[in-house]
Amino acid sequence: MLRISHVGLRGVVGRGLTAAHVLDFAAAFGTFLEPGCRVVIGRDPRASGIMLREGVLAGLTACGHDVVDLGVVSTPVIQHCIRNLEAGGGVSIGASHNTADWNALKFFGPEGIYLSTAEAGELLDIYHLRRFDFAPWDRTGKAVEEPCAAEAIDSYVAVLGEHYDFEKLRRFRVVVDCSNGTSSMILRRLEQRYGLDMVLINERTEGRRFAHDPATNRETVALQLAPLVKPLGADAGFLFDIDSDRVALATETGEAVSEEMVLPLLADYLLPRREGKLVITNLSTTALVEEVARRHGGKVIRVPVGRQAAIDALTSYRPEQVAIAGEGTGAVMMSQFRFVYDGIAAMLAVLTMMAEQGRRLSEILAGYPVYKMLKTQLPLVSARVPELLTELQERYGSGRVNTTDGLRVDWPDRWFHVRVSQTEPVIRVIAERRDEEPRELFEELVEAVRRLD
Amino acid sequence: MKVRQHKLKIGVSGIRGEVGEFLTPPMACAFAQAFGTYVGPGRVVVGRDTRPHGPMLEHAVACGLLAAGCDVVRVGVQPTPTIQIYVANRGARGGLAITASHNPPEYNALKLFNSSGLFFNSYERSELIDLYHQSNFHHATNDAIGWVHADYGRPAGIHIERVLAHVDKDRIRRAGFRVAVDAVNGAGSEMTVEFLGEYLGCELVPLAVDPHKPFPRVAEPRPDTLGELAAAVKEFGCHAGFAQDPDADRLAVVAENGRVLDNDDVLALVVDAVLEKQPGDVVVNLTTSAVIEDVARRYGCRVHRTPVGEANVVERLLATRAVIGGEGSNGGVIFPAVHPCRDSYTGMAFLLDRMAATGKTVSELAAGLPRYVRRQTKVAFEHGPLGGVMQALEERYQGAETDRRDGLKLIWPDRWVHVRASNTEPVMRIAVEARSAEEAERLFSEVQGIVAS
Repeated sequence: MLRISHVGLRGVVGRGLTAAHVLDFAAAFGTFLEPGCRVVIGRDPRASGIMLREGVLAGLTACGHDVVDLGVVSTPVIQHCIRNLEAGGGVSIGASHNTADWNALKFFGPEGIYLSTAEAGELLDIYHLRRFDFAPWDRTGKAVEEPCAAEAIDSYVAVLGEHYDFEKLRRFRVVVDCSNGTSSMILRRLEQRYGLDMVLINERTEGRRFAHDPATNRETVALQLAPLVKPLGADAGFLFDIDSDRVALATETGEAVSEEMVLPLLADYLLPRREGKLVITNLSTTALVEEVARRHGGKVIRVPVGRQAAIDALTSYRPEQVAIAGEGTGAVMMSQFRFVYDGIAAMLAVLTMMAEQGRRLSEILAGYPVYKMLKTQLPLVSARVPELLTELQERYGSGRVNTTDGLRVDWPDRWFHVRVSQTEPVIRVIAERRDEEPRELFEELVEAVRRLD
Repeated sequence: MKVRQHKLKIGVSGIRGEVGEFLTPPMACAFAQAFGTYVGPGRVVVGRDTRPHGPMLEHAVACGLLAAGCDVVRVGVQPTPTIQIYVANRGARGGLAITASHNPPEYNALKLFNSSGLFFNSYERSELIDLYHQSNFHHATNDAIGWVHADYGRPAGIHIERVLAHVDKDRIRRAGFRVAVDAVNGAGSEMTVEFLGEYLGCELVPLAVDPHKPFPRVAEPRPDTLGELAAAVKEFGCHAGFAQDPDADRLAVVAENGRVLDNDDVLALVVDAVLEKQPGDVVVNLTTSAVIEDVARRYGCRVHRTPVGEANVVERLLATRAVIGGEGSNGGVIFPAVHPCRDSYTGMAFLLDRMAATGKTVSELAAGLPRYVRRQTKVAFEHGPLGGVMQALEERYQGAETDRRDGLKLIWPDRWVHVRASNTEPVMRIAVEARSAEEAERLFSEVQGIVAS
C-alpha cells in the first residue's frame, strides 16, 4: 500500500510506506529546491507523523536547508507560512481524508503553490535516481522552531480577516465536526479573535484513530454532525477532513448535503464578485457547475480527475482569469486565497453568502435545480479498458464526447463518466441527470463493464 | 603504496564515515532502524557531540528508531559516558551516541549501547550488522509508532553524582585548584565547566568550552595537539590542565609546569588512587604501559591484558570483576563503580582528589611512578604485511615472551614491542616501551627497520 506519484508519496505506514521512502523523498526534494533556501514543514496529528517529520528534517537539512517546523497544523496554514516567510518551499505531512493508518508527503514550491506536473516529474526523477545533493559536512541545515504553530495560525487567520467581514458572520451559530484533525486550532482562534459562535465536535486532535472516516462526503456528515445541527439551534454544520483542506456541509434543518454541492455553491458566490469567469473542475463533478456558471456568464473548464490536472490547468491561465477551481469532494481553491485548497476559507464563504442573501442554507440550496448522481466502481483488468471505452464511445456517439480521462459523454440533461481509478485496479462509473436518477443509463454502463470482466 | 581512503566504514564496530557524500542520512536511518529492530520496542536514548551535522543525523536516527517502533529519548549534546550512564539509569532498551569521537570534524559515527549502557559486545554487533545488511527491519504501523521525548537537563547531574560518590568532594573544594580546561568545544564543554567549577569549586581558565563553535584543534587530545592548553596552564599558574576529545570520554592532563602527561601515566595515577582504597584486579589493553603492572604490584593486585578497543577492555573488566581499567595511550580511564565505560570525569575527579589528599603537584605525582619511555607510530598498511612482519619479529627476537591476541606483542622483563592492525584506520600501529630513552629508541628503530624490509 504505497503510491509514489506526481502528487507525492502516500501509503500505509509500516505496510508499504517506510522510513527509507521518507528519507529518500525528502532528500530528493532537498535536491530539487533552490540550494540553501528555507523550507516550511508541518504535519497532521497522525501518530506516524512524528516519524515522517524526523525523516523529512534529516533529508532536508542534509541537503543544506534550514527547516521551519510548524508542528501539528493544517495544510493551508503551511502554504500560507511558506509565502509569508518567503521560503523556498514546503512539505505537508499528512494523509488528509484517508484513514489514520495512512500517511503522505505533499510538496509545495515558493509562495506555497503546488508543484506543476513538470516539476513533480523532476522530483520523481531525482527520487528514482537516488543521486542527492547532500551538503558538505559543514553546510548542513538545522531545524528552526520559530514561528511556532500558534504564530503561523494567527498570521493565517489575519489574512482570512482581510477577506471576510466577520461582523456579519457573528450572528450565526455553527456546528463543526473537526474529525479529530487540525481544523480545531484555527476555529478556536477564529472564535477568540472574531467572536464567532461555534460548537465543535471531535475537536481533540487524535493520532491513532479518528471518530469516523475523515472523508468529506454526505455519508460522513450524516453520522454525527447533521443530527446535531437542529437540536443545537445552529444555522449550519461543517465537517473538515484531517488537514482541513476539504469541507462538507449540513443545513440548519439537519440535512447532510451532497459533497458535490460545495463547488457550485461557491462558484455562485464568487463568479459575480471576481474578474475571472473561469471555473476549473474535473470530469467527474456535477453538471450543476455549468448551469451555475452560465447564470453569471462564466465558463467551466473540465480536466481529468486528480489534483495534478487541476493545478496544471490553473497554471495555463492567468490567475485573474479564474474565479474558482475544485472538485466534487469538497476541495475548492479560490482566487483570493491564491488557489490553495482551503476548507476553512470555503466555510466562511458559505456563511458570507447566507449573510448577504439573508437566507437560510437550506433555502439557498433549494434554489438550485436538482441533479441526481449514481456512482459505483467495478473490477476490470487494465488490458480491456481500451476495448470498453471504444465500445461505449460508439454506442453513445450521439452526445458530446470528451476522452481526456477515460470517457465522458454529455447530453443536455445528463452525462456519464467512465474512467480507470488512479489508486485501485477498478473502473469508476458515474452518471448524473437533471431532476431524476439516470437509472437506465447507469445500468447499461455497469452491464457493459461486467460483460468484459 | 596506495593508501585506501576509508571515507565510509560499515562493520562490526558500527557505521562511521565522512558526512556529505559518504555517510548519508538514509544510511544512518537504516542503521538506526536495524538497531531499533534489534533492541525491540521501548525507549532508546539518543545523544550527540557538537559536530555541525549532529542535528541532521539525530533526525535520521530518530526516524529509523520510530519506524522500528521505539520511543526516542533525546538528550541532546552530551558526553558519551553521560549517555551510557543515563541509558542504564533510566532502564532504556538501548542508546546511540552520534559521535566520531576523536576523528576529524567532517566524520561522524554511531556508537551503540545495550540496555546496561554498555557497548555492544562482538556477538551483538555482528547480529546487528547482519540485520542491517538484510534490511530485515521491523516496521511499526500507526498504532504502534512511539514518540520523541526530550531530557536535556538530567543526564549531566546523574553522571556527576555517580563520579563524586567516589572522591572527597569537600577536600577538593577546600584545595581551591585553578584548572585550565580545553573541551575542544565538544560534548563536554558545558558539563565540564559545571563539574569543575560548580561541583568541585575550581577556579577555571576556560579555553574551548563553546559547544556552538568548531573544534579549535585536532580532535584527539595528544601532547602535540595541546600546545595552547599547556601555555595557558603556565601563563595563569594553574595546578593542572584538562583536555577532552569531542565526546569527552578521553582525557589528557597537563601538569603545572606545562608538560603534557603521558596518557599511560594518567591512567597509572588513577589506578594507584583506586587500588589504594579498594584493591582488586586491573584490566588494560596490550598497548598500555608496564607501569600498570608496577603500580598493581604495590597492592598485590593482578593485571589482565586484552586486545585494543574499549569494548574488549570492558568485556574483560566485567568478566573478572576488576575494580579499574583502561586504555593507556587512548586516554581512557574505565572505573566500573561509576560505569563500565571510558570516562574523562572519573579521571579528573581522581586526579584532583589525589592532589588534594597528598598536597603534591601533578608532576610530583607523576614523578612517583616508575619511569618508562614509549615510542609509537603508524604506517600505511594494506592487508597482508602484518603477518610477514609478525613472523620476522618473532624470528628476530626469539627469547621474548609472545602474545598473539591482537597482532604480536613481544615481552621482556624490562621492555616490549607491539605491532597490530588498527580497527578504525587502514594503518599498522607500532609501539615499543623500555626503561630508558636510548633503549626505547634503539628498539624502535630496529623494529621499524624490520617493518620497512
